[in-house]
Amino acid sequence: MKIVDAREQACPQPVILTRKALSEASELLVIVDNEAAQTNVSRMAEKAGCRVEVEHKEGSIYLHIVKAVSPLQEEAKSTKTTVVLAASDTLGRGNAELGDVLIRAFFHTLKEVQLLPTTIIFINSGVRLVTKGSKVLDDLRALCDKGVEILACGTCLNYFGLTDKVEVGQVSNMYSIAETLLQADNVIST
Amino acid sequence: MAEMDCAVVLFYSTQGAIKAERALMRAGFAVKLIPTPRQFSSDCGTALRCAWADVDAICAALKAGAVEYDSVHRMTVRQ
Repeated sequence: MKIVDAREQACPQPVILTRKALSEASELLVIVDNEAAQTNVSRMAEKAGCRVEVEHKEGSIYLHIVKAVSPLQEEAKSTKTTVVLAASDTLGRGNAELGDVLIRAFFHTLKEVQLLPTTIIFINSGVRLVTKGSKVLDDLRALCDKGVEILACGTCLNYFGLTDKVEVGQVSNMYSIAETLLQADNVIST
Repeated sequence: MAEMDCAVVLFYSTQGAIKAERALMRAGFAVKLIPTPRQFSSDCGTALRCAWADVDAICAALKAGAVEYDSVHRMTVRQ
């Protein structure tokens, strides 16, 4: 078993180190020291078909990662994925007031249609939509309840000073975002 | 699944819906800006949704604020 000590490593370093180690070993022990790193490493490993067990020990988080592709995961892999990339807090370009109306109409409608996206990624001013005061929070919560994964760019939240205002979804990094986009069958960019 | 008795207020223009939303939010009403449901119009339009119980007060507030609206429809929403 390979051991990866990713404590005191800035995001997305723990994910990069884990990925590299996974290409060399089928069983890992990854040690991290914060919840964001735990979530990001776990998500990457689970997406790569691994089983992840979490253990809190002496102020650190120990992630036991084992490569295991079950029939269920094989099946999940064969399902088409659609990702919506919300790159702004408005929809379309031209008029911000109209763009605000359109983005709200878009997320309202998205939760009512039958074909749901697999993931919605919020970047740049799009992250405002997942934070306190956003007018689409109820719609996004409903989408979340239906199993849609919601990822918000951590760099963007930090830039706007909104990191502690997130109301729905998970804070993510460019590593996961780029990977999710590249693995998707369809990407819809707003 | 809970059912909600709602009113959908239609407007003559998108600007009208935006103006109405602002006026009603300022007055403390809980309204939601939504795309006009298909059964009420085939146009691409924007409407406001509110609780059916608030409909009289909302119409009165719109009239008092000189915000024009087209029509009001009743709709059950499953949540």
